[in-house]
Amino acid sequence: MMMIRQAAKKALGLTSRQSTPCSVGIFRSYHENVIDHYDNPRNVGSFDKNDPTVGTGLVGAPACGDVMKLQIKVDEKTGQIVDARFKTFGCGSAIASSSVATEWVKGKAMEEVLTIKNTEIAKHLSLPPVKLHCSMLAEDAIKAAVKDYKEKRVKTNGA
Amino acid sequence: MGLIGDRRIRPKERETTTVFATEPPWLLQLQGFSGNYRGLSSSLKPFSILQEDEFHKLANVTMNHLLEKIEDYGDNVQIDGFDIDYGNEVLTLKLGSLGTYVLNKQTPNRQIWMSSPVSGPSRFDWDREANAWIYRRTEAKLHKLLEEELESLCGEPIQLS
Repeated sequence: MMMIRQAAKKALGLTSRQSTPCSVGIFRSYHENVIDHYDNPRNVGSFDKNDPTVGTGLVGAPACGDVMKLQIKVDEKTGQIVDARFKTFGCGSAIASSSVATEWVKGKAMEEVLTIKNTEIAKHLSLPPVKLHCSMLAEDAIKAAVKDYKEKRVKTNGA
Repeated sequence: MGLIGDRRIRPKERETTTVFATEPPWLLQLQGFSGNYRGLSSSLKPFSILQEDEFHKLANVTMNHLLEKIEDYGDNVQIDGFDIDYGNEVLTLKLGSLGTYVLNKQTPNRQIWMSSPVSGPSRFDWDREANAWIYRRTEAKLHKLLEEELESLCGEPIQLS
């Protein structure tokens, strides 16, 4: 009797959906912003690192699973970042974090991009706790790129 | 994630690292590092201080100690959704709506990494002189930071040192 009732329920689509992972809440997925940046990464590529208008930040370590290279192209007269490129080896969150970073630095002054915080990147991508380190790496990459550019300027001006 | 193991990487002078975000692992070409190599720890080179077995010993003691103390703490405080789990060398502490802590060993860097709902991500190196795990950027000590944060989140003090 019970089996017939169950079969009838199934036929009518009335059974509970407990077998589907999505409905139980254990299912965890990347936020759509992360997927977007992974599928359509912005500004992937390289500049010539010997170009005096380019600052290169290289952070991370392959053994840890994440390496980010972020490059900025700076307008020498205004000190504004006119373009940015990145290449990242790592998880989807790391790729998305560095992709976001290149978007956010474009068109801003160097001093302004130094204020970009990993918390803002993490919030934008809804990163889970274990992936907050990726956003920190992206913040570090921005700072490293700016630092590299400034050091290069000092060298060329001093020479 | 890529499958590059650190054994296959040999740093060369003045060459750029070329890595691709979307290439499959077997096509990744790593051509060494530029002079700009930076480890995650801002002032320390990864392998200069602790030997791996020493790191494991210290870190395991720390993680197990934290697990024990925080488990006891959880029995005393009334936090909805309190849960602590230690698996695969990752310590996950859920505090319900107050947030989630994740602590893990980062062996290549000889560090303990923490993700905090209060202070975000931080990375602790073992300081022999201080006999403590310290986050170089802020000079914060792991145990002290956790004590402060847990007390402010849960309302009850905790002794971790």
